[in-house]
Amino acid sequence: MSDWTRAKRTDPHSSKPENRKRGIDGSLRERETCCRGRENGGHTDGSYRYTEKRHANFTTPESTGPVSRCSRAADWGSQVDDEDEMRRDVHRDMQRYRRRILGAEVTQRERKTSSGSSESCDSREGENMETDEAVLLRRQKQINYGKNTLAYDRYTKEVPKHMRQPGVHPKTPNKFRKYSRRSWDQQIKLWKVKLHAWDPPTEDGQDKVLNIGELGLDDVIDIELDFPTLPDSDQKTTASLPAHSLSLEGEDCSGTPVKVQKTESRVEPDMA
Amino acid sequence: MLPSVMENTTDDYKIQSFDLDTQMLLKTALKDPSSVNLEKVSDIIMDQSLKDQVFSKEAGRICYTIVQAEAKQNNGNVFRRNLLNRLQQEFKNREETRRRSLQEWVCYVTFICNIFDYLKVNNMPMVALVHPVYDCLIRLAQPDALMNEEEVDCLVVQLHRIGEQLETMNSPRMDELFFLLRDGFLLQEGLTSMARLLLLEILEFRAGGWVLSSTAHKYYYSEIAD
Repeated sequence: MSDWTRAKRTDPHSSKPENRKRGIDGSLRERETCCRGRENGGHTDGSYRYTEKRHANFTTPESTGPVSRCSRAADWGSQVDDEDEMRRDVHRDMQRYRRRILGAEVTQRERKTSSGSSESCDSREGENMETDEAVLLRRQKQINYGKNTLAYDRYTKEVPKHMRQPGVHPKTPNKFRKYSRRSWDQQIKLWKVKLHAWDPPTEDGQDKVLNIGELGLDDVIDIELDFPTLPDSDQKTTASLPAHSLSLEGEDCSGTPVKVQKTESRVEPDMA
Repeated sequence: MLPSVMENTTDDYKIQSFDLDTQMLLKTALKDPSSVNLEKVSDIIMDQSLKDQVFSKEAGRICYTIVQAEAKQNNGNVFRRNLLNRLQQEFKNREETRRRSLQEWVCYVTFICNIFDYLKVNNMPMVALVHPVYDCLIRLAQPDALMNEEEVDCLVVQLHRIGEQLETMNSPRMDELFFLLRDGFLLQEGLTSMARLLLLEILEFRAGGWVLSSTAHKYYYSEIAD
């Protein structure tokens, strides 16, 4: 379920999943702050909150010690609460996005009339955005899985937004754009592959190499069908194997398919 | 509250079967949720739904009103959370419930479907209930269940009420359910003619886009008008 929304309860205003990170092996990291409902949240937007009387940690039969209760909520009460919260967040995101697009469109129109520049494909994005709630929720969940990782945490700390280069740095897929299901799922997959470059080093010092074969990236050829605006490329259709050691980070990213790079260099509001 | 208003509440929510004290408690919960023990209220509603078919058919409404009232009054969700968790408990034990009492099992299915229908979150059904509801309906479509008219009746009534919404939330499972219904209709020996009629009607109902054509309606229901 949406674990990240639990993290949000400790800070209703944060848009980042602060807690509940996973290590490489998928195990939960110790949470610094657990679901402590803030009694005086200090928020005025009327957003939904509990007054918590529940235990923050308890030992389950499967665990060897106290486990944060914010592991996947199995009880329907919590699942529905999470759903509720996620829906609210998606609606809020949608409003923000609309405002942002509208603002950008106005600026573009002004620029066009003054400089006579050619039409940008974004000029009518506001009218053509994805609004189906079920789709948005599903996409948000997928994004959450990617953001709820140590790799993402390290990435965002290391590379501030203004330093991010298209194609080189992973960019969160824009859930408000119209994409086919397959196209979207591929974007998510590739985004997460790229994020792995920021995985923390393993304890035994071994480099962890991604088995690209497992990811089924022979399907990457299908991206061409989904992104029709991209030119054909003779480029090898394998994604770069993200080097585990950080020193290689900025250096060689030529393995990334040109197709994907092209997509990410399109001007779009940064939703990462 | 005026006596006449109180009476409407009793009737609207079908709470006549409760003793007067409990009726009072429920009415207070509707108006002033923070003044009552909401966990207790949800337990009372849950327990009664398992016993009283008339109540379970519309219990979703009173639940929805209490949820809204609590959210509005203090942003709370004690009632909903407790109700859902009780629902989940009963769901886990449903096979045993069915063995012990067909009536209770049918009441449970009626209740959970009613909750699915009424307790919407931002006008959308609760995703968390989709699979459990399907599990229940698919259970009702199993060969042993089709032999019992009460189970078949429950199944078709629920599909009439929430089938379309359920299908929107998850279409493959609806297909799965209807495969069973077709098989049951065609192959199951020992079905009563009433059971077969109910199954045929629901098959036509879904095939028509969750609407019965007027001719089909005439076939199935014309005698009722007489």
